[in-house]
Amino acid sequence: MKGVGLYAQRRATNFVILSLSMAATAAGLVVLFLILGALLWHGIPALSGDLFTRMTPPPGSKGGLLNAIYGSAVMTAAATLLGTPVGILTGTFLAEFGRGSRLAQAVRFVNDILLSAPSIIIGLFVYEMMVVPMGHFSAWAGTIALAIIVVPVVVRTSENMLTLVPASLREAAVALGTPQWKMVVMVVYRAAIQGMLTGVMLAIARIAGETAPLLFTALNNQFWSGDMNGAMANLPVVIFQFALSPYADWQLLAWGGALLITLAILTLNIFARLVASWSSFAK
Amino acid sequence: MVSIPAIDRPQPASLATPQPKVQIEDLRFYYRNFEALKGINLTLYDKRVTSFIGPSGCGKSTLLRCLNRIYELYPDQRATGKVLVDGADILDPRQDLNLLRARIGMVFQKPTPFPMSIYDNIAFGIRLYEKLGPSQLDERVEEALRRAALWDEVKDKLRESGLSLSGGQQQRLCIARAVAVKPEILLLDEPASALDPISTQRIEELISELKSDYCIIIVTHNMQQAARSSDYTAFMYLGQMIEYDHTEAIFTHPKERQTEDYITGRFG
Repeated sequence: MKGVGLYAQRRATNFVILSLSMAATAAGLVVLFLILGALLWHGIPALSGDLFTRMTPPPGSKGGLLNAIYGSAVMTAAATLLGTPVGILTGTFLAEFGRGSRLAQAVRFVNDILLSAPSIIIGLFVYEMMVVPMGHFSAWAGTIALAIIVVPVVVRTSENMLTLVPASLREAAVALGTPQWKMVVMVVYRAAIQGMLTGVMLAIARIAGETAPLLFTALNNQFWSGDMNGAMANLPVVIFQFALSPYADWQLLAWGGALLITLAILTLNIFARLVASWSSFAK
Repeated sequence: MVSIPAIDRPQPASLATPQPKVQIEDLRFYYRNFEALKGINLTLYDKRVTSFIGPSGCGKSTLLRCLNRIYELYPDQRATGKVLVDGADILDPRQDLNLLRARIGMVFQKPTPFPMSIYDNIAFGIRLYEKLGPSQLDERVEEALRRAALWDEVKDKLRESGLSLSGGQQQRLCIARAVAVKPEILLLDEPASALDPISTQRIEELISELKSDYCIIIVTHNMQQAARSSDYTAFMYLGQMIEYDHTEAIFTHPKERQTEDYITGRFG
């Protein structure tokens, strides 16, 4: 029998590689479930009506996270609204209008640097540019810092998703006499919408948990504040402060906040997928 | 080899003498520094079907892509020479590309439905250059789908995605989209090569129905298709126009040795 030894050897190699990759997958999943398990274990006891209706308390008294939830929601939403258009337009420039040009190459390079810049640097930058001249911490500064984190994520995913749209679709649109901007907006965007939305979701997920840039910009606020020009409470900084404190009730609130952020991102992701599958004709 | 005398036998499409629609003069085309078309001279006639045949890489698709300047999407491609449509040179840099392409429809090898509903696929092109009321637009969409022999299959699902159709239906949708804007010239780049025999037959029937209104140019790898559906055939090889004549003449008594070798299957 010819080749039996070779075949046995291939089967053995296959077994080894398959086992290794399954072990790696399992390792990743186990860590993920440990984190989720710990969050649920410690976070669920913190979930109560107070969590959503009362302000962050001084140690020893009853309270919730309302001001921090509000601050996080407002700053995340405002940063997304600011950063997404810039990111999508830049991604469109890279993929459609400037493809192959020197300017596009330079922009892409700078964007990649920004993408991997530590968020604490961005926090410090906005601190120097906004907080110091204004003389106080503010929710606007926090929003700008978060928006700066949104932009490169959205630029990268938008460009990638637009590049995946086949050239034949562009040619078909152009062959009808479609001006380029209309071709991009009405045909290419539609074909790429799902991926681009995913990019925006990734960006939101990223900034929803960012702590470092907010420490230098929006800081924190123990009380209710809707003033974008003043310091504003937010979940990441509250979690940071409360989790490191020696008080059990503060630690419990920190667990509750961590669980909230995670659930919010999960919900957002599911919702985005649903919206994309309803609105898109690209199956 | 350049232009041919008027047809001397009755044609089903039109009994009249064919009118020249496109005159190509010394057309050269470059992909960067590679010369893909080496001085093409050719006259294409209105209300007739012309096939471009030849082995892969001979330049037949490239020639087709010069007629609506779609190659301009790619910065390292360029053409020199003249392409006169009704006497006006469309290679002139002052030519507005969008207006040009609205007059010259194109259908590609692979079906390219837009990611939108069947209705919007057709209405998209019409809306670009005409302002119509909803009922007029409905009429135009129906007319285009009927011309492409697709209406009966899609009339109950106009709001569904164009991507939900089969390959053959998608290609007829693309033909409907192209004729909906009422172009003067229709360019077909191997429109049936990705389709099954039945869909191919439908597309060919469609071509023979459409030729009474348009100047149709079809690039094909399939010699039977060229013989069946075209009035004129141009044989190209290595970027040159080897022979151009009535389809019947090309397939029964070609003048050039290379043409004969190709159509009898000795190379290609």
